[in-house]
Amino acid sequence: MDDTILIRSARFRQEREADWRKLSALVDKAETKGLHRMSFAEARDLADLYRQATTSLSIAREISLDRGLLDYLEALTSRAYLSVYAPQQRLGGLVHRFLAIGGPQAIRSSWRVILLAFLCMAAGTVAGYFFYFENPDWFYVFMPTELSGGRGPDASTGYLRDQIYEAHGESGLGAFATYLFSHNTRVAIFVFGLGAFLCAPSILLTFYNGLILGVFFALHVDRGLGWDLFGWISVHGVTELSAICIACAGGVKLGLAVLFPQDKTRVAALRAAGHDAVKLALIAALMLVVAALLEGFARQLIQDLTTRVAVGWGIGALWVLWFLRGGRNS
Amino acid sequence: MAFGRTDELIPPEGVPLQFRIAGLGVRTAAQICDIMITGVGALALFLLLLALDLVTPETAIAIATMLFFFIRIPYYAAIELMWNGQTVGKRLMKIKVVAADGQSLTAQSLVVRNLMKEAEVFLPGTLLLTLDGAQTAPAIFSLLWVACVLAVPVFNRRRRRLGDLIAGTYAIHLPKPVLLKDMSQPGQNSPTGQSRFTFLTHHLEHYGAFELQTLEGLLRASGMPKGPAQYQRHKDTLAAVVEQVRRKIEYADRVRATEHQAFLTAFYKAQRSYLEQRQLFGDRRTDKHHATSADKS
Repeated sequence: MDDTILIRSARFRQEREADWRKLSALVDKAETKGLHRMSFAEARDLADLYRQATTSLSIAREISLDRGLLDYLEALTSRAYLSVYAPQQRLGGLVHRFLAIGGPQAIRSSWRVILLAFLCMAAGTVAGYFFYFENPDWFYVFMPTELSGGRGPDASTGYLRDQIYEAHGESGLGAFATYLFSHNTRVAIFVFGLGAFLCAPSILLTFYNGLILGVFFALHVDRGLGWDLFGWISVHGVTELSAICIACAGGVKLGLAVLFPQDKTRVAALRAAGHDAVKLALIAALMLVVAALLEGFARQLIQDLTTRVAVGWGIGALWVLWFLRGGRNS
Repeated sequence: MAFGRTDELIPPEGVPLQFRIAGLGVRTAAQICDIMITGVGALALFLLLLALDLVTPETAIAIATMLFFFIRIPYYAAIELMWNGQTVGKRLMKIKVVAADGQSLTAQSLVVRNLMKEAEVFLPGTLLLTLDGAQTAPAIFSLLWVACVLAVPVFNRRRRRLGDLIAGTYAIHLPKPVLLKDMSQPGQNSPTGQSRFTFLTHHLEHYGAFELQTLEGLLRASGMPKGPAQYQRHKDTLAAVVEQVRRKIEYADRVRATEHQAFLTAFYKAQRSYLEQRQLFGDRRTDKHHATSADKS
């Protein structure tokens, strides 16, 4: 065809059409095969042609009134943009980086909220403790029946002791699964998830969880079983209750961002807070899995009080060590 | 481009791109697909466990809950990371997650948006399923929660749910590039080309880009295969358009019925070339009211 009878924008299209078609083929390939399986030349061409296409698009928007061409270029460039700017990380590397660096750093940078969460639970525990000694009936108010398992002010001291030392129920995988989805995991999910809907539900739930712990503890102290219960709870509780507090801290962080966004918009503040909050949630989830393992296996195997305390707090110390030392060098 | 809301996204190259935002319906459909896929996966493992006959039924149920939980949580984040913001359901529905800031999606944001899905979609979902009619307070609470969660995407422009807001992402329809013929080049419809009709500057002063692109659509439609009734209707439309254009631009010569298509093609080419030239000189004419709107401003 004679070039002179073509109008300018048609000539523009004719000169570049081959490149666009090539880019389109490369984009299809990147989408089906994945960017990392393409050869070096193809990947380079993709990036090159994509940048040319963005230029073509902005020129076409200025000089062409051809709707068909504009729509095509728009769609082609968008599609190419989506495959050029695809995430480049591999899963394994991500997990490693989170465990070695990201997780502990997130814990350290949000120590204030975590402290707040621990204080909430401690306050609940103390309050529950004194409530019980004022009137043991408070036990029935706070303690959900399915959680107490028959333990209460009416139960005999012998029964309480049995619950602590007898290997009852089953152990192993089934117990692991049951404990993982026990009360505490549900609480942890709720305190994190509800945090985004302003902080109050998270804090209240953590406090309430402390109350339960407090009345339960008081009951055993009343019967002279304080230390035995301490050992029984320590095995998994150090990890599990810390996990709840950390999940609560994550939720509170989100809630604080919504309540006090400072000089950012609420959405931007929520995003910024989400960065650390999610790491806290992941760590809490990891700790809950470990706690369920301890509860399912270790608590049945270890019957001695001092060993129970040692195992529970020893693992607690390992967590603290990880939080304090992880990712210091980088 | 005419249907659905669009949103502008600026990639690092600085050329704004228009995307169609994925609506609630298509996203729900994708979500249901994914739930079915993860559900089938968990069910298969659960049946395998039952078949192996290692555990008591009560324990098996606890393990099934755990399996379902473990399968669905990493599924979304991992597969969106691997497939660049698409799950199986999203692939079927041809939608995709993009980062609102135009940068590439990060692992961080994908994990965030899918963890929040747990609080937004699954927890209220299971709450609703296990709802006890006798207990009013939890029922009202969970209904309120579901209402709140559903309200978030309805009340923002990009249909983002809470997880999207925190992660800074939203879902779009994948654009489909189809390169259509350039209507200014003579095709099989007008073999004689453009020399039969000549248009002068005063003929081309009347219309703007909007009318030009409407004409382009009409010309494209004439290339498509049609039934006899449709063909007759199309011919009538062409005749009416030719009459209207001739009257508007004061084109004196009569156009024979056999030449309607050729006339419009020639006019399209001349008009486009003229408008594009004006545009290069900074005179952008969006529609036929360009003269009056220029006077006003």
